[in-house]
Amino acid sequence: MQEKEALMADSLLSYIALAMILFSIGFLGVIARKNIFIVYMSIELMLNAINLIFIALGRYYESMQPQVIALIIIAIAAAEAAVFLSLIVVLYRKKKSLNSDVFNVLNQKDAAHE
Amino acid sequence: MVDIVFVILAIFAIGGGLGMILFAQPMYSALSLIVCLVALGGVFALLSAPFLFMVQIILYAGAIITLLLFIIMFLNIKDDNLPDEPNKITTIFVGGVLLIPFNILILKAFNTLPSKPMHILGKDFGDIQSFGIELFRGWLVPFELISMLLLAALVGAVVYARKGSVDG
Repeated sequence: MQEKEALMADSLLSYIALAMILFSIGFLGVIARKNIFIVYMSIELMLNAINLIFIALGRYYESMQPQVIALIIIAIAAAEAAVFLSLIVVLYRKKKSLNSDVFNVLNQKDAAHE
Repeated sequence: MVDIVFVILAIFAIGGGLGMILFAQPMYSALSLIVCLVALGGVFALLSAPFLFMVQIILYAGAIITLLLFIIMFLNIKDDNLPDEPNKITTIFVGGVLLIPFNILILKAFNTLPSKPMHILGKDFGDIQSFGIELFRGWLVPFELISMLLLAALVGAVVYARKGSVDG
């Protein structure tokens, strides 16, 4: 039991493995799904996986700096959420669809003429 | 004990993430993402980051995903507004197989670090006081830049979402 504990939660590698699995899930969501909400949520999941790597390394080196970087990443994710969601609302009003293939025009004049 | 908690949290996080990319309805996906993010917050607490645990619960599960849920409900999405994704499962499976070498590369890179016990540290590591000291001593300029970024995002969101801004 002791050895198993040393293998799982006590080693840096298990946290990195969890973070990489979550990052891969987020990456697959971005490339495989067309629903724009799922793409957004996958980006959030990738940011969180990177946060987990930062915090695990901060615990490993017993330094507070990675935790501050993680907080800054969370703040950037909040700013991204505001802009991304308002863009989704505008595009959904225009196109009546959530397919990300439809959202290939971001120019305001082109979008208005279609 | 910590081992069991870590395994349970990891199962919840991975299950929530998989549910997020597999559900067709965005509402179910958002609820799965909340499960995943709360479990990740628990993992942060295991890594002696109690302040970031609180931030994760309050800001992610409480603010960002709730905003996302509001938007999903506000748009009143019908089933025929959803894009049809016929080969979703195939793409996810093939992509997952293709990502395995990349993951092995990263894990090998981290495996070169000497192993070290990762038990939970005392209360002066990762709490609000030491966090604030580190933030305002070493990271003051990034903190101010973040405030400007948030202001720009606020103005941008209002400009985008204003009615008629796209036509004008």
